[in-house]
Amino acid sequence: MANSNWRARISRRTLVKSGAALAAAQFASPFVMSARAADPVRIGLDNPLTGAYAANGKNELVGCQMALDEINAKGGILGRPAGLVVEDSSTGDAGTAVQKARKLIDSDKVDFLLGNVNSALSLAMAQVSNEKGILQIVPGGHTDAITGASCHWNVFRVCNTTQMEAAAVCAALIKQYGKKFYYITPDYAFGHTLESGMVKAAGALGGERVGGDLAPLGAVDFSSYLINAQAANPDVLIFLVQGDDMLNAMKQAVQFGLQNKVHLAGSQQEMEPLEGLPPEARIGTWVLEWYWNQPGVPHVAEFVEATKKRTGRVPTARTWFGYVSVWTCALAAAKANSLKAVDMAKALQDFHLPPEIALGPNPAFYRAGQNQLLASLFVGNAQASGSAPDDLFHVTEVVNGAQVASSLEESGCKMTWPT
Amino acid sequence: MARRMSQVVLFNVFNGLIVGAFYALMALGLSLILNLSGVINFAHGGFLALGAYLAYTLIPYIGFWGALILAPPLTAALGLVIEWLLIRPLYGKDPLYSLLLTFGLAYIFEDVTRLIWGAQSVPFQVPAWLMTSLSSQYFFLTGYRVFMMIIVAAAVGGLFAVLKYTRLGMRIRAGTRDLDTVSTLGVNVRVLRSLNFGIGIYMAGLAGVLAAGLLGLSPTIGANLIMPSFVAIIVGGLGSLLGTLLGGLMIGVASGLAAVYFPSATEAVIYVMMGLVLLVRPRGLLGEEGRVH
Repeated sequence: MANSNWRARISRRTLVKSGAALAAAQFASPFVMSARAADPVRIGLDNPLTGAYAANGKNELVGCQMALDEINAKGGILGRPAGLVVEDSSTGDAGTAVQKARKLIDSDKVDFLLGNVNSALSLAMAQVSNEKGILQIVPGGHTDAITGASCHWNVFRVCNTTQMEAAAVCAALIKQYGKKFYYITPDYAFGHTLESGMVKAAGALGGERVGGDLAPLGAVDFSSYLINAQAANPDVLIFLVQGDDMLNAMKQAVQFGLQNKVHLAGSQQEMEPLEGLPPEARIGTWVLEWYWNQPGVPHVAEFVEATKKRTGRVPTARTWFGYVSVWTCALAAAKANSLKAVDMAKALQDFHLPPEIALGPNPAFYRAGQNQLLASLFVGNAQASGSAPDDLFHVTEVVNGAQVASSLEESGCKMTWPT
Repeated sequence: MARRMSQVVLFNVFNGLIVGAFYALMALGLSLILNLSGVINFAHGGFLALGAYLAYTLIPYIGFWGALILAPPLTAALGLVIEWLLIRPLYGKDPLYSLLLTFGLAYIFEDVTRLIWGAQSVPFQVPAWLMTSLSSQYFFLTGYRVFMMIIVAAAVGGLFAVLKYTRLGMRIRAGTRDLDTVSTLGVNVRVLRSLNFGIGIYMAGLAGVLAAGLLGLSPTIGANLIMPSFVAIIVGGLGSLLGTLLGGLMIGVASGLAAVYFPSATEAVIYVMMGLVLLVRPRGLLGEEGRVH
């Protein structure tokens, strides 16, 4: 009978090969979505829609679509309608992100390239956009090199550098909780630079690194790292992991009761993991890069309402990153009166975003010679509940990005313009 | 200093056993299906996620305990429907067919989960009294982890008891060795396979509810847990449920030890371990002779 013949054919080798295929498939790109109007100015978004950063990527996509609707309602870009071509870059595979970037530029003929949530993928995409001479906006990849040592004339970044986030939160932590820091850091470009930024910023204020662990991206169990951290007896346990990893780490730390022994904190927190945490785990001191609850700041309430109308939820920093990124494309084209990347890049040097796009208390502008947006950072504490159901963060200090950013020389950016 | 180090090692080994027990629970369901039906169920992680999300949906109505009881059989019921509609026609065919089918199902599950419950993680509430540490010195022993260990031990004990003492279990064990003979003796192999598949998926659903209390609940929760389960089967030995249990515990401990000496290799170490087992003892620790071709 044939039905038991599998044993003759299935073997450990088949199982091992199958497992390897499954592992490889985590990086495959299963899903392509496109929305293209007739002969529009095309903006290509190459960002994660699946994997650990899917929620972040989808919120950036929402922000992009909101900006696009507003731009088209006002007549489009240089009088032409604007359209978004969306590709799933995967969460962690640079090969996929690069292949999608090339496809967007070569086949879809996009005029702008946007992406990526993942720092390493942003850097890989920047190589491609620079080679092709396309204007790229990085909405939310934080590693310093993007607008530092690996900066390019055509690559602009909306989110902060890891150095800025570290500098914004370190003073508050040392002043209130102590000088001994233990780090749980994601083991890739973003995590490495974020930790080194924190160590440097804390060191300047007398802080000390008493230990740390590198956790692989997508780690499930953080208990071993938490055991190591507890043994090192720090004043502050710094979580630098992001997305679902942040969620797992915080949830497990609170189950261990570590919040009763050491202060839990980090340099970057986001609404996405905060919303996924049970209320008792919404604790600690962090930096948010944008927050929806900004009483008295013009235009923020309208943006919050528009997002709620579209998604039923308040906007996150990621929504704002996407929104600013697409608006940057439109504003650059308008100022340069051209879709030529060099002209637009020059038009964006020291370019100040209008208040209805900046949506923060401090001026927001792309620093010349580095292409880094300097805006506001919101330092404060996560909270179980606030003035509204979505008020999960209590802002204690709004830091002006321009005041915590390292100097142009310190950033390491040596920009070379095409001749 | 040396005392502190040995304490950290001890803590991590113990913690590794807890994590390993969880891997074993997932791997046992996977192994059960593989052993009898020859289906490498790549969608097992999808069923795990489904179990977790079903529990999340049920909790507001019937509470955590009700969801813990109800979500796994609901997952198993859906598993039976999928087995009946999609997997059953592929029995007896080249294993590649079912492999490709479940491979695709895994992606469909993930996207459907994302479509229904959203891409963003959702807060999964377990009773507050379970969420505290039982001892300030052994702080990693939380109420939830001890509870999880008890459930895993009960589920594994229950599974082994069913296999050893019930008629169904005997037929599954006999079918694992020689399905043709079992069929010739008049056992309805279709029903046997379905029930066996249902038990395997029940365990995935149970693992999902337990995992959601420990980790963040997002659509990728199953994808992140499936690979260690495959490794547990290979390390423990194809065809041996006891081996799978042992494999799960061993990779948990190896991961815990790596956290002490080389923290960035906590995940890589389980694959190194798999490589070593394949080199030194290709049939796995307790695997049957003749399963390696």
